Amino acid sequence: MAWNRVTVVGAGLIKMGELFDQSYEQMAAGAFAAAVEAVDKGFEPHQVEAAFVATQRGTLWGQEGIGGNTVPTAIGLAGIPCTRIENACPSGSDAFRVGAMAVASGVHDVVLVIGVEKMRDKSTEEGLLSRAAAGHPIFTRGETAPVLFAPFATRHMAEFGTTREMLASVAVKNHYNGARDPYAHFQNEITIDDVMKSPPVCYPLHLLDCCPQTDGAAAVLLVNAERANEFTDRPVWVAGFGVATDHPYLHEKDSFTEIKATRIAAGRAYAMAGIEPTEVDCAEVHDCFTITEILDIEDLGFVAKGRGGIASLEGETTLTGRIPVNTSGGLLAKGHPIGATGVAQITECWWQLRGDAGDRQVEIRNGYALQHNAGGRGSGVAVINILTNRNDT
Amino acid sequence: MPGHAVVRIVGVGAAAPGLRLAAADIGAAWNRKGGKGRAALCAPDEDTLTLAWDAGTAAVEAAGADPTAIDGLWWGCGRPPFADGPSHAVLANALGLAHHATGALLSGSPHSGIEALLAAADAVSAGSVRTALVVVSDAIRPGPGTGYEQRAGAGAAALVLGLEGGTATLGVRATRSRPLLDRYRGDGETDTRDLYDGRLFREEIFVPIVGEVAAALAPLAPSVWSLPDPDGRLGAVIAKQVGAPLVASTATYAEVGDSGSAAALLGIVGALDAAGVAAAVAYGGGRATGIIINVEAPVAGAARVAAMITDGTPASYTRALRNRGQLVAGGETIPMGVPPESALFARGAEEMLQLLGARCVDCGTINTPPSLHPHCTACGGPKLEAVHLARTGTVHTYVVNYTMPAPFEAPLPIAVIDLDDGARIMLQVDDDGTDLAIGRRVRLVLRRYAYERGVPVYGFKAKPLQEA
Repeated sequence: MAWNRVTVVGAGLIKMGELFDQSYEQMAAGAFAAAVEAVDKGFEPHQVEAAFVATQRGTLWGQEGIGGNTVPTAIGLAGIPCTRIENACPSGSDAFRVGAMAVASGVHDVVLVIGVEKMRDKSTEEGLLSRAAAGHPIFTRGETAPVLFAPFATRHMAEFGTTREMLASVAVKNHYNGARDPYAHFQNEITIDDVMKSPPVCYPLHLLDCCPQTDGAAAVLLVNAERANEFTDRPVWVAGFGVATDHPYLHEKDSFTEIKATRIAAGRAYAMAGIEPTEVDCAEVHDCFTITEILDIEDLGFVAKGRGGIASLEGETTLTGRIPVNTSGGLLAKGHPIGATGVAQITECWWQLRGDAGDRQVEIRNGYALQHNAGGRGSGVAVINILTNRNDT
Repeated sequence: MPGHAVVRIVGVGAAAPGLRLAAADIGAAWNRKGGKGRAALCAPDEDTLTLAWDAGTAAVEAAGADPTAIDGLWWGCGRPPFADGPSHAVLANALGLAHHATGALLSGSPHSGIEALLAAADAVSAGSVRTALVVVSDAIRPGPGTGYEQRAGAGAAALVLGLEGGTATLGVRATRSRPLLDRYRGDGETDTRDLYDGRLFREEIFVPIVGEVAAALAPLAPSVWSLPDPDGRLGAVIAKQVGAPLVASTATYAEVGDSGSAAALLGIVGALDAAGVAAAVAYGGGRATGIIINVEAPVAGAARVAAMITDGTPASYTRALRNRGQLVAGGETIPMGVPPESALFARGAEEMLQLLGARCVDCGTINTPPSLHPHCTACGGPKLEAVHLARTGTVHTYVVNYTMPAPFEAPLPIAVIDLDDGARIMLQVDDDGTDLAIGRRVRLVLRRYAYERGVPVYGFKAKPLQEA
């Protein structure tokens, strides 16, 4: 490969939650400081040559005019090149991919990728739920976020016998993991019964099938592998990535039992990394709703199509399972500050591959961790990044 | 009318909202003796235009007519959906009529329904249109607590007129008027006022002019009548005066209440199911008009009328006030992201109202809507032609949304529909979602998606068909 290899030398995030007391800028500064602090051999902020910032909800208060210029000032680096990436729920994942390409290309040696999102400065009604009235006046009328995923659950249940208990088992597992992640929004364990008895949000999804609204920020530092040893003796490499798009409106989908963009992006990412799905040791995947994780683990090739529900119920994706998924608590427990989500997932993969995940640490056998987001209207875009702790790739 | 062609009725249709409000519930709310009977009530997504579409569609289907061959629409409704706006154009487009369709919107009183029939008949007779669609509709909004409230209802009827085909003809007419106030709605007022004095109305206005019109038609010996009955008693008074053998409108008043502009024709279209002489008399706004219909043989669609307007679901008085917009939650509602007068709306108006798709010339895939698909979603090809989408289909998958900000009301089912022409579309479902299922058959019906900035927004919803 004619490109430079790319390493992650630092990563960090702020405690996620309803951060009413922090501004967008303060969250960005907190995440950047966490990533800098995490660099083994030390890192001077001015070593950042360029930054890519992911913020998705530009319509929420305090984020309306955000471009590439807000974050540099907030982190004391006004003047550096900085570009905002907005690509729906995978915005953070895609900012990471673009940052990696900037280093791989040789244009920059040290790049900051940072995701920042305020979700709770507007009320739920005026914020996320108001999208019921946004967009196309007929085809999207009443379309809140769960409407984009619940139709897949209805169809998956009908075609494969997936049950609400199976859906609920995803939330139970991710809350269990979140209770072991000090950065997670929710720190409590729940039961299948809790999920089943939570209020209906959008049939067949109930409240605990849904991720919360979370403020948060996360940052990673990408460095040309040639210079990684200036910063750490335990770098993590970017092994591959893949992006794919699908039609935006739900009625344009071929199938309601898969997220096609995920399947195509996965094929590209595995090919670039030169691995099979069986070689992934752990994965941070997009679990905005319980059904999404079930679709993800099928479309990423971890389980056969249709087995996502039963595999979840039977514990194949727990910390000690065959393929641990969302060890951080996922979007369901850690939270989904959209632009920050992908970057926070990368941070979890970085910790897992370095053996720094504490109570959540999984066994790293092959040296690969996968990170995935899907989103946009009708999951029309998916981004996957694969990291490795192996220097032989 | 010597020298003029005889106008024929080719098909008829009718419609009523799916909800019914019991008079006893209104009485209980105001702590007085309740009265008897019930009246039809619009759901939040129904109004005079959606009722007109329902009835108009049924009449066009009954007539076996190609909507694009209908070149005139005469619509009578006391209260158009836009006080000043594109009411007629929206209905004509949603019905899929000829793009050059002429006609008129007649309004201003409950008499406007019969005015629409006469105007359409004259245009057909004169040869200025070949096929006319007459639609009459109303959804009365009475003042809460008025004596008229328990009578105020809703409904619609429609007739396809032409010079050929059909099994009935329009006959002689009679009109009388007096320039006096009865029920009215002043400029800027939202609710229809009740009578000032019921006895005054009866003695000085209603009985004199309606009686004269009915007496003028009586010599033609109608075997069945539709008579105005604004209070539940006056219809019988007129019937007795003229010796009417059968008053078909009694049953429709009992089912849907006073449907205003629709009442006279809604009261007779079901009776066109048998040969004979029928008479329909309308009253409103100080005018009374009657017309004779000569039925040679059962009129297409007439036999289905009764089923179209019966069997509503009971609704509470609170529900009625909310649906009429008379009980409104505090706080602000979430406005539409796309204002109804904006460019996106303008681009989408025809394709949304006419249910257009874009068929790929290369691979046959139908893409919806056309304005969002310059290329085919299946093959990427750029050659697309506009087609009308199928109006029936099957539920592929669905959700029921329970969590939305005002003005949305839960539960809101939304379904992905596989239409019978192979197109796929995602629409709201006209149902509470309780018996929705994958594989359920649906048909697409026009409903009111939103009401904001003082204007309605219309689009199609999927209505589950009754299981066979």
